[in-house]
This record gives sequence, C-alpha cells and structure tokens, in this order.
Amino acid sequence: MSEEKKQQVTRRQFLNYTLMGVGGFMAAGLLISPVRMAIDPILKSTDEGGLVNVGVSVDDITNEPQRIDWKVEQVDGWYESEVDRSAWVYKNENDEIVALSPTCTHLGCVVSWEGNESYPNQFFCPCHNGRFEKDGTNVPGTPPLEPLHTYELEVRDGMLFLGDAKPQGEA
Amino acid sequence: MKWRKDDLGKYVGAKEYIDTLLIPLIPLQFSNDGEAEKLAFQQEVMSILANEIETELSGRLMLVPNYCYLKNSDKGTEAERINQWIEDVEQQPFKHIILLTFDASWRKYEKELNGHFLWLPGMKSGDLQSKETHQLLRDQVQELSEIIRSYW
Ligand code: FES
Repeated sequence: MSEEKKQQVTRRQFLNYTLMGVGGFMAAGLLISPVRMAIDPILKSTDEGGLVNVGVSVDDITNEPQRIDWKVEQVDGWYESEVDRSAWVYKNENDEIVALSPTCTHLGCVVSWEGNESYPNQFFCPCHNGRFEKDGTNVPGTPPLEPLHTYELEVRDGMLFLGDAKPQGEA
Repeated sequence: MKWRKDDLGKYVGAKEYIDTLLIPLIPLQFSNDGEAEKLAFQQEVMSILANEIETELSGRLMLVPNYCYLKNSDKGTEAERINQWIEDVEQQPFKHIILLTFDASWRKYEKELNGHFLWLPGMKSGDLQSKETHQLLRDQVQELSEIIRSYW
C-alpha cells in the first residue's frame, strides 16, 4: 500500500514537473530571445576571422616588398561589412615570407615602402615622417615607438593565406 | 580620425600631431527628381573618398561630419556659416582646414572661405560596385592625399 501511494505521488510529481517544465521552458524562451538579440552582435564580433586566401602565388613574392590588398567580412558591433585590408609582402634573406601591416604604429597612417626618396630601403609614413626598417623595426628618433605589426600567415597549395595582424613578438 | 568618441579621446592626447581637418560640403535638394538622384549619388561617392582619405592619413587628419546645405541656397550666407565652423575648429591647434566638394557653385566664393578649397569634377552616375569605379576612386584618393600632403 505504501508502495502504491508512493507511486501516486510520483505520478503527480511527474505531471507537475512536466507542466512546470513546459512553462519554465516557455518563460525561458521569452527571457532569452530579447537578451540574445541584444548581445548577439557583440558575441559574433569576438570570433576571429580565420586565414584568407589573398590571391597571391608564393612564386610571385620577391625580395622587394609589394603591396597587396584584399577584403574580409567583418562583424563590428552592429554592422556586418566588407573591410579592406592590405599588407607589404616579401621574402627575407632566409627565404621566409614576411607580411607587414601598413598601419603606422604611431597614430595609424598608411606607410609605403620607399615612400620617401631620401630613405631608400625603409618604410615611410607621410604623416610625421615615421620610418621603419625592412623587417618592420621602427627607426629610433622617429615618432613610432614599436615595430609594424605582422600578419599571421600560411601557405596552402602555393597560395598565400593571411589572418590577423599582431604586434611583433606576439605573432 | 573621425568624429567619434574613441577617436576624440585619442585626439585629446595627441593634439600636436593632428593638424588637418577635412570637411566634405554636401548639397541637398528634393524639388527636382533627376537632380536629387545625381546629388545623392555624388554624396555616396564623396563619402567613399572622404573615408578613404581618412584611412590613408588618419594619424594627422580628422574627418568631421558633412556640412550640408540646400543646393540653391545663397552661397554667401553658407560661406559665413562655414567660416563659423572654422573659427570654432581653430580653437584647437588645427593648421589646415580642407573643404572638399563636387559643387562648382562654390568656386565664386572660394576666396571668402577660410580654408583650403578643393573642388573635384563629380561623376553624374555610375556603378559604385564596378572595378573601373573602384580604380578611379582609388586614383582620386591617391591624388587628393598628395595634394593634402603638399600643404604639410
Ligand atoms: S602616424 Fe606615422 S609617424 Fe605619425
């Protein structure tokens, strides 16, 4: 008898749980969706863009830095957009590929390889005459205080793939 | 740099390096359909140009929101208002104020404006997604950046 009672309780409990469960689930649904909508764009922006094929064959990369441009999809807060990226790419004396970000580490202007005739073999920033060596090292006495950032890179099937630019030493 | 919170924060800490201000001058007009379409198109082109120039030279140049006016308004009055903007800007150590426009009707008032006036012949229509337009705009950005650098 005690066993039957126990079972009845169990059944009632089961029913209760089920109803509560459904209700709870619905309530949670109501609660979650506005929250999700509010935080979704922020959540997405944290997933990092992987490496992208920038359309350059490794064989075409020489010892002379050349500028390459490509586009990546980027979710930035509220907007999803295509953004332009560029890099200065060359092979160093050990035949390793180097991809430098053209963004000046001083205040962010775009640097060019041999952008000033007086400074051959250097990157030049037109804004405040910042200069960088070929490997990206900032020239002391010019405004930038850290080297140009380097892109994460990989070669797949002879093509160059680039990721995000990171400060040198971290990449 | 642009007129947004983060950039203004940076600006305040690096004023001595940012000495150039770029103001796009944008005409509006609704009364004539064809003309409105053309002006809207030119506004899109201008926004691309201004943003690209800002990217190239962001460490020394600040791009501010467009100066908008009615296409047929009296340019003398508008010039006075622009000069008021400039007067306020000059409370800060800006040395070069650049006014960029496709609107040829400013040319008569060029001398009254207290800034470098740059007029560009505007496209009337076109496809902003096409490769040719991209190349054209890229070239214009290069040329404009060079002109701006020549003031420095
Ligand atoms: S932004 Fe390059 S030197 Fe200042």
